[in-house]
Amino acid sequence: MASSGGEWSAEQIDDYEALISTTDVELLKKAWRNEKASPEILPFEEALVKRAKEQIQLMEETVDDFEESGHDPLIVSLYQMDLDRVQFLLRSYLRVRLQKIEKFMFYIWKTDTYRNRLSIEEEKFTERCIRDMGKHLEETVLSKMPDNYQSVLKQSVISEEDDMVPEPQLDTFVVAKCERTTRPLYLDGSRQSAGFDSRDDHFQMVPGDLCILRYRPFQEELTSGNISLV
Amino acid sequence: MAGQSDPHISLFSAEEVEFMAEDELIEIVPNLRMDPLNFICGDFGPFLPQIATQVPFWLAVALKKRGKCAIRPPQWMSVENLTQVLERERESQGAFQVLPFHYVEISRLLFDHARDDIPDMYMVRSLIEDIRDVRIHKVETSLEKFSGTSAVKIPNLSAMEVNIIRPFVGRALQAFYKHDNPEKIPDVDRPSSAQTRVANNEPRRPLRR
Amino acid sequence: MHGRKAYELVKEFASGEKGHLKIFNNELFERVIEECNEHHNALQSLIRKMQEEGLEVQTAKNADHYGALVHHLSLTRNKRCLMAYVYNRAEIIRDLAWKVGLLHELPSEIQEKFGDSEEQYFKDHSKSLKLYMSQLSLDVNVDMVPPKDPYIKVRVLEDLGSGIILSDKSANFARHSMHFLKRTDAEQYISRGLMEELTG
Repeated sequence: MASSGGEWSAEQIDDYEALISTTDVELLKKAWRNEKASPEILPFEEALVKRAKEQIQLMEETVDDFEESGHDPLIVSLYQMDLDRVQFLLRSYLRVRLQKIEKFMFYIWKTDTYRNRLSIEEEKFTERCIRDMGKHLEETVLSKMPDNYQSVLKQSVISEEDDMVPEPQLDTFVVAKCERTTRPLYLDGSRQSAGFDSRDDHFQMVPGDLCILRYRPFQEELTSGNISLV
Repeated sequence: MAGQSDPHISLFSAEEVEFMAEDELIEIVPNLRMDPLNFICGDFGPFLPQIATQVPFWLAVALKKRGKCAIRPPQWMSVENLTQVLERERESQGAFQVLPFHYVEISRLLFDHARDDIPDMYMVRSLIEDIRDVRIHKVETSLEKFSGTSAVKIPNLSAMEVNIIRPFVGRALQAFYKHDNPEKIPDVDRPSSAQTRVANNEPRRPLRR
Repeated sequence: MHGRKAYELVKEFASGEKGHLKIFNNELFERVIEECNEHHNALQSLIRKMQEEGLEVQTAKNADHYGALVHHLSLTRNKRCLMAYVYNRAEIIRDLAWKVGLLHELPSEIQEKFGDSEEQYFKDHSKSLKLYMSQLSLDVNVDMVPPKDPYIKVRVLEDLGSGIILSDKSANFARHSMHFLKRTDAEQYISRGLMEELTG
């Protein structure tokens, strides 16, 4: 993510968070919530996932040591709970992403922004998904269609775009909380915004605000970390 | 949907909401001495008898169950405060009173696992139920305000109310903004008599005629 | 009438219980494919006719032009329905692959619902998931719900004797006695109605 005029890059945010010592668990939880609530696939949190895996491994060893050395099992179970919680977050985070890939495999593959958001393993997974799905559709439907109607992406050769590819619905509505003051946005549409009791020309959030938002205009606010989804 | 985390990717199950609530901090009073706990999610303790300290809810409940502490109910959970909140909640039509984001989950956790640590528990529980009802009603009647907008501020809404709103807002407002996409692979609306329809972030692909 | 069979196909899928597969309707499926080819033949002959009459197919908006258009649209609609049928079933098959790794672990009632290519698709997707997980050295198809305390409070409902050995200690399970046990130890007793879990 390029930083421009006061916007933070992903690395800068990472450093900042580490500096104010938000724990990795909190960061992982936020990443999970964002990924779960967002209609599109978000940038892969490579560094965070790596750190989480390392900490999980360390803790697994610690728990094993405790068990072997006859530590009070009730206390060991507390460490186990902490471990279970982090593992759940990590697995859920990765799982949600895989499920989005399964849903939108063709679109993700052909859209550079999305393709670049995948981890290496996810990219390989996407490739395999497409290959498997392509093969399956080819066998059951496409090979039996007349010429000019055999594309998996287009209804027929005269389609101007790939009109058979499911894509993420970016005009869906999400609930977001503000972490850092957002840029003022002029929202086109009939009414720009509404609080429960006020109307503004442009829409802006300050830290602490909770809002229902149409996702599309706020994509960048999310990837920059100004807002997070709940 | 009960118990399952991922039927619709974008929705949070009740268990997942509770899971997030369990990270909120609460004060406990240990009744014995314990070594500090150095978790992945943070360091807690040392634990000294009668010296209050803050830990996440999941740990507080676990320690309580293991007989190692009492839990101090949060300040907002007093009969006095809740009575006031309920009154103000009833009086104001459009606004919501300030309560912790996870007030529903937190109170439920305390009722289930630390009943004896809550003074006037039945009164507290009854007040919270009333507050919840008033707020839900308020949320439902405010839903019309959302139509035709791209953004709405919802100050002081709690996790539970957000979860209630989510499907309705998604549906109603999505329809408003549905642009004419070229025909996608039709995903026929699956009628389900028993289950309520929930919002999802899948493309709506209506079948032509 | 145009598209009726395709509509039936899709409707059959939609009327099923969500997340459950009905048996692959080969007969109806083949019929829709046949229709596609019929439409195509009709489309081709109308185009040929117009060309023979010296008309520009794209621009000469006569009855044949519109006739051809109708056939084209019916064809694409049928194609969309066929794709939807396969695609949406594939979604359910992928979910099964998440829950159950191997084909032989799938109950036979489910397996027999698969169409020919679907069995292979299930295997392929299982393999794909496994490959991802091994590359990451992490299982993502476990821990599907948030974790709970491994220990629970229980009350013993019937006298079960003393000196019972558990995974972390031994206990005396006298009637009405209460214990703090590992969930995994308690489950067998709870499921047989010999213990109950307590809250509060």
